Amino acid sequence: MVLLLSSALGAAPLRADWKVPIVSRKLSNGLVVVVSEDHSAPTFGLCISYGIGFRLEPEGRTGFAHLFEHMMFEGTPDAPKGVFDQVIEGGGGFNNGDTRYDFTEYIESAPVSALDPVLWLEADRLKTLDFSVANLDNQRKVVEEEVRVNVLNQPYGSFYWLDLPQKAFNTYPNAHNFYGDFKDLDAATIQDVQTFYEHYYAPNNAVLTIAGDVKPDEVFADVEKYFGALPRRDVPPRPDVSEQPQMAERRFTQSDKLAHVPALAVGYRMPPRTSHDAVAGALVGELLHNGEASLLFQGLVKDKKVALSVNGGVNWPLGNPFEYNGPTLMSSFVVYPSNVTENQLLDDYDSVIARLKAEGPTAAEMERIKTKMKSDWYGQLEIPISRASALSHAALFDGTADAINRIPAEIDAVTPAEVKAFAAKYLVSTNRTIIDRVPETKAEKGGQ
Amino acid sequence: MKALRHVLLSFDGRNALGSFVIPAQAGIHKETADKNPKKWIPACAGMTNDQGQPTSKTCTLRRLALTVLLAAVLLPLPCAMAQKLPPLPKDLPPYGPVVPFRTPNVTVSKLPNGLTVWRVPRPGFPKVALTLAVRGGRAYDPKDQPGLSDLLMAVMDQGTKTRSARQIAEAFAAAGGDLSGDLRPDALLSSVQALSDKVDGALMVLADIAENATFPDDEVALAKTDALQNLEAQEAEPTFLAQRALAKALYGDHGYAVISATADAINKTTAGDLRAAYHQRFRPDQSLLVAVGDFDPNVLEAAIEKDFGGWSAPSEPPLPEPPRPAGNNQHAIFLVPRAGSVQTSLWLGAFGPRRGDPDYAATQVANAIYAGMFGSRLIRNIREDKGYTYSPGGSIQLRAQAGALLTRADVRNAVTGPSLNEIFYEMNRMATTDPSADEVTRAQRYLVGTNAIFLQIQSAVGSELGWLWVYGLRPEALGQESANIQKATAEDVAAAGRKYLPASRQTVVAVGEESVVRGQLGVFGLPIEVVPK
Repeated sequence: MVLLLSSALGAAPLRADWKVPIVSRKLSNGLVVVVSEDHSAPTFGLCISYGIGFRLEPEGRTGFAHLFEHMMFEGTPDAPKGVFDQVIEGGGGFNNGDTRYDFTEYIESAPVSALDPVLWLEADRLKTLDFSVANLDNQRKVVEEEVRVNVLNQPYGSFYWLDLPQKAFNTYPNAHNFYGDFKDLDAATIQDVQTFYEHYYAPNNAVLTIAGDVKPDEVFADVEKYFGALPRRDVPPRPDVSEQPQMAERRFTQSDKLAHVPALAVGYRMPPRTSHDAVAGALVGELLHNGEASLLFQGLVKDKKVALSVNGGVNWPLGNPFEYNGPTLMSSFVVYPSNVTENQLLDDYDSVIARLKAEGPTAAEMERIKTKMKSDWYGQLEIPISRASALSHAALFDGTADAINRIPAEIDAVTPAEVKAFAAKYLVSTNRTIIDRVPETKAEKGGQ
Repeated sequence: MKALRHVLLSFDGRNALGSFVIPAQAGIHKETADKNPKKWIPACAGMTNDQGQPTSKTCTLRRLALTVLLAAVLLPLPCAMAQKLPPLPKDLPPYGPVVPFRTPNVTVSKLPNGLTVWRVPRPGFPKVALTLAVRGGRAYDPKDQPGLSDLLMAVMDQGTKTRSARQIAEAFAAAGGDLSGDLRPDALLSSVQALSDKVDGALMVLADIAENATFPDDEVALAKTDALQNLEAQEAEPTFLAQRALAKALYGDHGYAVISATADAINKTTAGDLRAAYHQRFRPDQSLLVAVGDFDPNVLEAAIEKDFGGWSAPSEPPLPEPPRPAGNNQHAIFLVPRAGSVQTSLWLGAFGPRRGDPDYAATQVANAIYAGMFGSRLIRNIREDKGYTYSPGGSIQLRAQAGALLTRADVRNAVTGPSLNEIFYEMNRMATTDPSADEVTRAQRYLVGTNAIFLQIQSAVGSELGWLWVYGLRPEALGQESANIQKATAEDVAAAGRKYLPASRQTVVAVGEESVVRGQLGVFGLPIEVVPK
């Protein structure tokens, strides 16, 4: 009986071929529009991504891409400050924005009855903004509070994503403080806001994606109506942001005023996302860090008991391993007990890596991580707003959103030999940067 | 198992990371970060977000003269102008016709052993969310072992009669999921999202954990060491310190006051204690299994019977539910000194309706107008007008036997006093004047719309249904709550504001530099009690 039931379950239809519908168009002004139809709920998710992130913010203006993102919510001549939230929330929805290395995205989700006004509002803030000094001063304060609440007032101060790239890379685009030094935030002028807007906030530097209870033809007609007249602009050419190869291991110790137990961050430089190695790299990152079955969790937390928690992956925590567009790390963030030394922890970390390099993953490990990654991948495509976001980044980086549907097959195609070769090539000490973050009280005692 | 971390910043809007749960903020715990954080979903006021998890301790404070307080909060308010909403653009297209909310179709059944099963088939998206709700959380812990539930959750998936911890983790991963736990005072929810064609594997292991967990001695020892370190790490976080102090102030000696274990409780808890608590709580007649997603109903039903049918309830009666809390929180300031703090974390709380009470919907609307959405009065005032804070917000904390309205704002040291002044002002404005019809409509549409958006997620439906069951409500409540929000009249909303939002009802917690808090909050005339470490 039991066997019969199991085989009945095993015979359930395989869903590995599940794909999201994608239709796209390009307006004459260069705006790429992507629609993914999904009638499972009477709602939509919208994402408009611009090809500008904190990597390309000007020198002397660290944190500006993110400060600018806040200014996008501060109103326009036609829709003054407050209208945006009033209309979207009053339409039953919510909105947000976020800034990453290589894009800045603006997202809304609401019942479909609010789609027209939301499209109007997005087009309106791509036409012009209310370049108000008072609003800039207000948002400068809000951003500084954001830095305080997320960084300065927190144990560890997000050092594993704010400080690690600054130590691991050499050039300004990849190695500056993305949240911004307060002196740079304070120095930002309304002229900076205007210039940045004119350079990067152009229809030909954007992808607009709508997923949900909509019909593509109706969406294309609406988008043409609201966005069609916006002029194409000259976007500055993308500079070379590549780095010279790293030649030696980099190690740093930081003291932490607020943390009570130490933590270690390790960052390995990764190959470009479009290189053949990148998918194997994604698997390596997940094998090491994804869940309690991961090699580092089992090795450090369970077997050796030298760590309290392990997190990480490629492009972690600011995105997934399939959406970056410049020098990127595989990062590990390990919190460890006070009675364990940095070197003890690192020895055990290295032995987990060494096994992967010497033996490669087992067949069971490969099958499991592939299943988990595909499941996670589908997971981010479940709801319209996160699907819109994923589609929009793919189209921004590759010119087409179709990559979204190819990723599961790419994951499946990776062999154990490729994983082993990747680990041997990239997970070497000369390719990594390590920061040990020690509670101040412990540092004073001489690191005992 | 890893603890599910609630996104605590309800309205993070405009941040670099969305509502991404960053481990350093969330506290350390043995988990790998969720690879697909639900970063776009606001923890909107209508949801059962557990923001706050308040806790306990009896405080004996002087009642202060109300007049002193009123004098303090009725200072001139330069923000009055900023509260006025701008007119809508003339070209803005109108909203389309409202599409009705589609209530999930829940099939209810019960196994002969008493296990309740709620199934929600949703063909299409190729995953299934499984949620097992088991009655009994921190409020059920022995008085001298507060937070025993946390250890129970940590170790319950670390070994069964036939599987090791590693085998369990690997089996879930092989089905495409991770097991995560949502522990609150009334219950523990364990959830996993599996690929549709591998859901049988996840179901089998979930049942094994529910029926056959062994709490191996070495795993308990490891979990205790981790828990002590975690506690130490959490005590560095202002949010944790604030939640702990507020829970003690609100709930006193009641079990709802417990938000985490104490070091003493961790040290004294044995594997035997955990096994005993597990056998008391993990019983089919006190549990609910929810499945949401793409499955064949007949196949899944058979699998549930196979995996859970042999689970038997002990003969002794289940643990009694906790009583109603006294509900007499004190209007005072509880100061949690935190040296080196560059912000003051202000948390305010007062008792409100329970989920299911007649004025719950009107209170949701009142809270949304006050501080529960981005365009709310408080956020427009102290964030968008004054720039005092990045992350203010108001929410309703739910318990089976209680409800509480919470407000939270992390503000830079220099504006600690002005911020509390504005919070009190916005509360008293809700308590003394009627919101406009326009505000009420907008809040209603926001709550109903974001609820529909939230319930697109399989795991959110599973979790919402689980908590409805814990709170003694039927699955139909999922749709009924939205209908109730729409039915609330402007008078109902004003009445909820008058009843629950007067500043004089509030317990205030301030985590920060002691001199800053004392220097700036003394003017309010409230007793200031220092919370011992």
